Amino acid sequence: MSLFVATLQNEFVKTIRRPRSYIGFGIITFICLMLQAAFYQDGKEILSTVTAQIDSIFSVQGNILNGNLICFIVLQTLIVQMPLLVAFVTGDTLSGETASGTIRFLLTRPASRIQILLAKWLAGLFYTLMLLLVLGILALFVSRWIFGSGDLMSLNSEGLTIIRADDINWRWMGAFGIAFLSLSVVATYATLLSCLMDNSITPIVTVMATIIVFTIIGLFDIPSFDVLKPYLFTTHMIAWRSLFEDPVPYSDILFSCGVLVFHLLAFLGLAIYFFNRKDISN
Amino acid sequence: MTAAIHLNNVSKTYGNFTAVDHLSFTVRQGDIYGFLGPNGSGKSTTLRMIMSLIQPSAGEIFLFGHSLKENRKAIMQKIGCIIEKPDFYTYLSATENLQLFARASELSFRKADIDRLLEQVGLQGRGNDTVKTFSHGMKQRLGLAQALIHDPELIILDEPNTGLDPQGIIDLRNLILNLNKQHGKTILFSSHILSEVQTLCTSMIVIHHGKTIVQGKVDELLSTETVTVRLELAQPENGIAFIQQSAWHAYLQEQGSECRFAMPKTEISLLVRALSEAGIAINRIDYKNQLEEYFLKITQH
Amino acid sequence: MKSILFCCLALLSVSAFATDDPKVLIRELNKKFAVVQDYTAKVQMDFAIPGVKMNHMSGQVYFRKPDRFRMKAKGIFFLPKQNPLQQIGSMLLDTSAYTSIISGYETIAGHHCAIVNIIPTKDNAELILGKCWIDVANPLIWKTQITTRNNGTIETQNQYGNDAKYTLPEKMEIRLELKKIKVSRMIAGDINKKSKPKTAGEEPLQTGKISLQFSDYRINSHFPESDLQASQE
Repeated sequence: MSLFVATLQNEFVKTIRRPRSYIGFGIITFICLMLQAAFYQDGKEILSTVTAQIDSIFSVQGNILNGNLICFIVLQTLIVQMPLLVAFVTGDTLSGETASGTIRFLLTRPASRIQILLAKWLAGLFYTLMLLLVLGILALFVSRWIFGSGDLMSLNSEGLTIIRADDINWRWMGAFGIAFLSLSVVATYATLLSCLMDNSITPIVTVMATIIVFTIIGLFDIPSFDVLKPYLFTTHMIAWRSLFEDPVPYSDILFSCGVLVFHLLAFLGLAIYFFNRKDISN
Repeated sequence: MTAAIHLNNVSKTYGNFTAVDHLSFTVRQGDIYGFLGPNGSGKSTTLRMIMSLIQPSAGEIFLFGHSLKENRKAIMQKIGCIIEKPDFYTYLSATENLQLFARASELSFRKADIDRLLEQVGLQGRGNDTVKTFSHGMKQRLGLAQALIHDPELIILDEPNTGLDPQGIIDLRNLILNLNKQHGKTILFSSHILSEVQTLCTSMIVIHHGKTIVQGKVDELLSTETVTVRLELAQPENGIAFIQQSAWHAYLQEQGSECRFAMPKTEISLLVRALSEAGIAINRIDYKNQLEEYFLKITQH
Repeated sequence: MKSILFCCLALLSVSAFATDDPKVLIRELNKKFAVVQDYTAKVQMDFAIPGVKMNHMSGQVYFRKPDRFRMKAKGIFFLPKQNPLQQIGSMLLDTSAYTSIISGYETIAGHHCAIVNIIPTKDNAELILGKCWIDVANPLIWKTQITTRNNGTIETQNQYGNDAKYTLPEKMEIRLELKKIKVSRMIAGDINKKSKPKTAGEEPLQTGKISLQFSDYRINSHFPESDLQASQE
């Protein structure tokens, strides 16, 4: 068994056995079930606040409140929570071991620091993938089971787009793929911060602060902020939504994916650079 | 014989602070080497540099004749260590922790091997317990087990007695001696307690403020002919006047209610007799070899 | 939607007849409308609503007198909420509820049409003004423009094909004036989109279009009642 595979296996064991890993799954399940219950009970009223302008002119025919819409709303709602849950585990990956002292044992084994960091990073991505998988099952399949399938009415600030039910599954696959890439950037950013800090809390708080500040900059319709927006990775984390436009702006999506991949590689490169030079003094 | 450890002018600085200052020493294979110094003297920083946890600012470290920088992986296969205190994944059992370390050392292991190792460090029957239920002493024992799991040639122990009860200290001492005598392991053993080093080690180094104070064979360092004598006189003024007029003046280092002399061990009785004949009463007399005296001094400040 | 077709049928059930008297034109329309008891047809729908992107979709329409109507399609689609054509249709039947005058003539798609204004006699009626472009040579409604109290102005423009003999249109385009449908970015959350500079003053009205293309009409087929009652899909 190669050393890297052994190191990776160790990181998977730790991820799976660590109690905090399950907090994220619990929170996702809770949020999904809560949103599904809320929409099951008061979905039409909740939607009417969003579709008020349409309702005043048109009679909307068909099942708007379906599993696809619920999944869209859940994904949209979790834009803040999912990075927190990812950072909660990946932000702790190195700093937690530094704080608890286990990093000393880890770094006095034959595996190089790059191997250890990459193993931890991949374990973080695996955890992120598992979170998204659970989210996908709960938000999409359970919602479809409860609310039925149907056309998706996707909202954006330029209006709304109706995506036909028979044209939606490939969009969901793409959306979850982009969401995974986005969350991988968060995981990598958290891993970078985890390399720089010696306690678990600061990287998690810093990730959240970054995402909240960048998201607020993105939300305000202030043209001068537009200069900043393309450089903020949070701007592109929402690129999955573009798959629910018609026509699909492929060039925009590819650009966003490119920016995300650039951020991911930059964060990973910096993490390797700093971790290789980090002195374990405590 | 190739040196197990050789440090060549190794320094570590943090900004303006120098933690280790041009430190050089050699640990021969088969030695139990004492690494002595008061708290904050740079012991842990040095051990961390040897274990590649901290990068030296200057100098070079060789292990088994190879540069640590260039042959880290091969070198680490041959080293087991406990740095500072043993920390474990507290949500895993003792066996699972050892399985992790074994896997990280590229070992194929069996549960029976782990059980045998746990028995060796006195943790038989506790393998399935999660580490969070362990006392500090038990963690220390488990730390030893993880340090030994890959049958290393060199074992580095940073203050391993910390937190152990008296029986644990005796057990550890016996284990170290056994590993050295029966299995030929080289052991680098750090401590701030001279007697521990004196009991176990064959060679030693004393460092302070990151610099070498003294190094050599323990027997030679601790059995030097010159000792420090402390004398408490009943009438200090008369006694000092007598000493200053006599040949003993050459050995006098400090004078007061307690006088201190640096003198050959064989002449202590002559000094006592001379004072008695001069009618100067001695309240108390005590002597230590100079290393003990020096170590006492630096650890008291 | 059901009211649109109901009224269209009412207005389209007109046989070839040439007159300059609006009452005669309307009477002929009402008389022709009496031929059709029910019908079903396939429908293709295209939408061009400002702020709404909705693909082409197909469905089936069902109509049974006097005003039972259903459009069945798999998916979401929009139809004008209150269909003023239904009011026109009712009023066309109840000739005492309105007065009609010809306000002019216009040629639409090569057809010489009289522009018949429908003016309600009651002050509080929902309808403010209805205008029908009726071919004077062969009474068919080629265009309507309905203004109601609550729903502004809606226009329809019709084309006829093989089923003109039943006064059933082959194509119908519904036009309405509306503000572009927008969702607050705070709600939509699409922070990846660039902000657009806000225009001064009120958002201008734009024209929305819903195009319906009917085919495979089955007249008086006595389709089962369940086709009118099925739940929305």
